[in-house]
Amino acid sequence: MLDLMRYESRRRIRGTFVLAVLLGLFALLMIGLFPSISESGADFEAYIESLPPAVREGFGVSGAAITTMEGFMSTEFYGFVWLLLLGLYVTYTAGGSVAGDIENGQLDMLLAAPVSRAQVLLEKFLSLLTIIVVLNLLMPLFVYGGTMLVGESIDAFALVAVHVLSVPYLLACGAFGTLLSVTIHRADVARRGGIGALFVLFVLEAVATDTDYEWLGALSPTRYYDPAEILVEESYDLAGAAILLTATVLLLVASRVVFERVDV
Amino acid sequence: MAAIEVSGLTKRYGDVVANEDLTFDVREGEIFGYLGPNGAGKTTTIRTLLGFQSPTEGTATVLGHDVRDEPELIAAKAHLGYLPSDPGLDQQATGEEYLDLHASLKGDERRGELLELFDPPLSRTIREYSSGNKQMLGIVQAFMHDPDLVIMDEPTSGLDPLKQESFNRFLRREADAGLTVFFSSHVLGEVRRVCDRVGIIREGRLAALEEIDDLLERGGKRVRVHTDEPLGDDVLDLDGVVDLAREGREARFTFTGNYNALLGALAGYDIVDLEVDEPPIEDVFMHFYGER
Repeated sequence: MLDLMRYESRRRIRGTFVLAVLLGLFALLMIGLFPSISESGADFEAYIESLPPAVREGFGVSGAAITTMEGFMSTEFYGFVWLLLLGLYVTYTAGGSVAGDIENGQLDMLLAAPVSRAQVLLEKFLSLLTIIVVLNLLMPLFVYGGTMLVGESIDAFALVAVHVLSVPYLLACGAFGTLLSVTIHRADVARRGGIGALFVLFVLEAVATDTDYEWLGALSPTRYYDPAEILVEESYDLAGAAILLTATVLLLVASRVVFERVDV
Repeated sequence: MAAIEVSGLTKRYGDVVANEDLTFDVREGEIFGYLGPNGAGKTTTIRTLLGFQSPTEGTATVLGHDVRDEPELIAAKAHLGYLPSDPGLDQQATGEEYLDLHASLKGDERRGELLELFDPPLSRTIREYSSGNKQMLGIVQAFMHDPDLVIMDEPTSGLDPLKQESFNRFLRREADAGLTVFFSSHVLGEVRRVCDRVGIIREGRLAALEEIDDLLERGGKRVRVHTDEPLGDDVLDLDGVVDLAREGREARFTFTGNYNALLGALAGYDIVDLEVDEPPIEDVFMHFYGER
């Protein structure tokens, strides 16, 4: 049991560390910019407030908070890098997981061994935890350390919470990619379809806020994980996390049902 | 019990019929050649036997387990090896890591012994492997858990002739020790060297099922005869004269009919030279495919 997960996890580990370092450097760069931005605070706040509501929603933070480290990082780093980029990355990776193996014949070799399709699927999904866990362990260190270095402070509990609560979100992204991967057997299409769909949902959720179509945004996983809310308002959407975990389970069950019935 | 029992197996992809109503058995301990040109439906049968795809109609059993039932088939797979023509290997892994993964899934009690016969560079990544090395790694993973049945799809395509020969000898020894082999190929010479029995598949249907010796017998003899006077219709119109070619007073043909009738007819001529040979195996093949 879990041999395949360990194998696939080892395959992911190097790329994950490279990604962690790059994102860490980006976070440090942002943190380094913070002191000068907070100095010109008033202008910046006015700029944000002047934006249309939907765009402001995209920033995820009100103008008043941008001059705090929490507000600044939730806008400039977590709102885009964690919510959007990392969500897309996990969806993309999961989209290639099964479909890629179908394409290059690796799945045939695996399924010729005495393992069930359900087990292959589950272990492949679990190997995404390598990405999710490693990044969520390393990034708070970069952010907290960087903040100390520039002589600022950040709420450590909220920082940990923003990472912990991203786990259900990223799992849901991975489960969505996995469902695409077992449905669309061309890896490229599954990967791109996944990131396209997630991006559309992200935008939809942002622009539908405060309109008659706000319910549409409920389809987007980004509705249930809001870094700005966590960092700035210290409000922890546990119900959202539960919804994301439930969605993860449902998507995986659907993936299993599909995968057990298709010709590969 | 037969190692593989295929009954009424049909597989369609939309309008395309890849396998149609196939029925045959593979006996325990035999090397069964599954012969047909590219596109005849060999791989479709193999992928159905392994449960990668489900049959449209009919079914098959592998080591007594129904291929349509996943838990059943998993029980069979513990005793089954699979070797495709171009095994899908993880390019980023080393040969060693890849074998370790498969060992954890199915066991590897014969790994060391196999690596003495087939020796891919295990410490290198598979990306750097030649096609021969990939195939050798494929062979090791297919046999290392000491299976009772090995299903192979054009297994020797990437191997050089020397390795092919040693692989064929290895198969023969394993079969003598009780292993059952299902071996697909489009090369008759290869099948003749290793197989006990062949099923010939053509456009998705089973065209013939023969002991290899019977197949050769049915293939007839290659005849070259040089006579004083050119041969007349009394010889050339005999039943069983095919692939006729004439050059002056010399005639060449494949003869699949009654030898007494041929010799009787030839007795009327003054024969300068006569050769009667085993036909090239490819000609035998043609009788099942060509419309001649």
